[in-house]
Amino acid sequence: MTIIEQQTPAILPKESGLAIINSKAPFSSNHGKDALDVALIFGSFEQKVSLFFQGDGVYQLIANQDGRLVSIKDYLKTFSAFEFYDIEDIYACQQSLVNRQLNETFHINDVQVLTSIEFGKALNRHQHVLRF
Amino acid sequence: MKTLAVVVTTPPYSHLTITALTYVEAALVAGINVIGVFFYQDGAMHANKNTSIASDEYQAIAHWQRLQQQYQLPLHICITAAEKRGIACDSIDNEQVNKAFTVSGLGELVELTTKASRLVQF
Repeated sequence: MTIIEQQTPAILPKESGLAIINSKAPFSSNHGKDALDVALIFGSFEQKVSLFFQGDGVYQLIANQDGRLVSIKDYLKTFSAFEFYDIEDIYACQQSLVNRQLNETFHINDVQVLTSIEFGKALNRHQHVLRF
Repeated sequence: MKTLAVVVTTPPYSHLTITALTYVEAALVAGINVIGVFFYQDGAMHANKNTSIASDEYQAIAHWQRLQQQYQLPLHICITAAEKRGIACDSIDNEQVNKAFTVSGLGELVELTTKASRLVQF
């Protein structure tokens, strides 16, 4: 952190907004829903928020899942409302998908699949990070 | 002036909460402006007045209370997270809520995040 501060601000784009990292599979815990609630609140307060899916978190993006089959309210459906909250920056970690042999078949549009390096750079553009 | 906001997602009996407390107290002692602690997920369990932890174990709740009194440190709990965990927040006198904590919503997290130069999550 010290190193970043020592560089001239002109080199680095200004960090802004909140990044939410989703790192858990959708139906084994409440983390995904808790993260979603935070994202939507930031969206409704017109604060910039970006979503990052990494590790088992990428399972939250995979199409054709239905939480109701395991008696869980399917919060993933709410992802389709992101555009109404101006949540446009949604990133998935390519390596996490590859490791789990998952195709890039997502249940929402506009997911950007990034390499680990790009993923890290995108995270770095944010002032704050929360991880769920 | 640099400001710090902290998010606590671990329950009062978690060892990770001790790390959060140590961190926050170190920041306060160093004169850093800690604008608030937001208790989310299992962190909301801190506000349960009925929690009783064996006396030879770390008393996380008592330490939060002490920091709140000593430094007027705002402690916010997420109402949704608290009610989900059996802490009734809607009664008039909030009988189950520890007085050191303020019942808030996620809107408070937005407020803290936008005001803070740094946000740290535990």
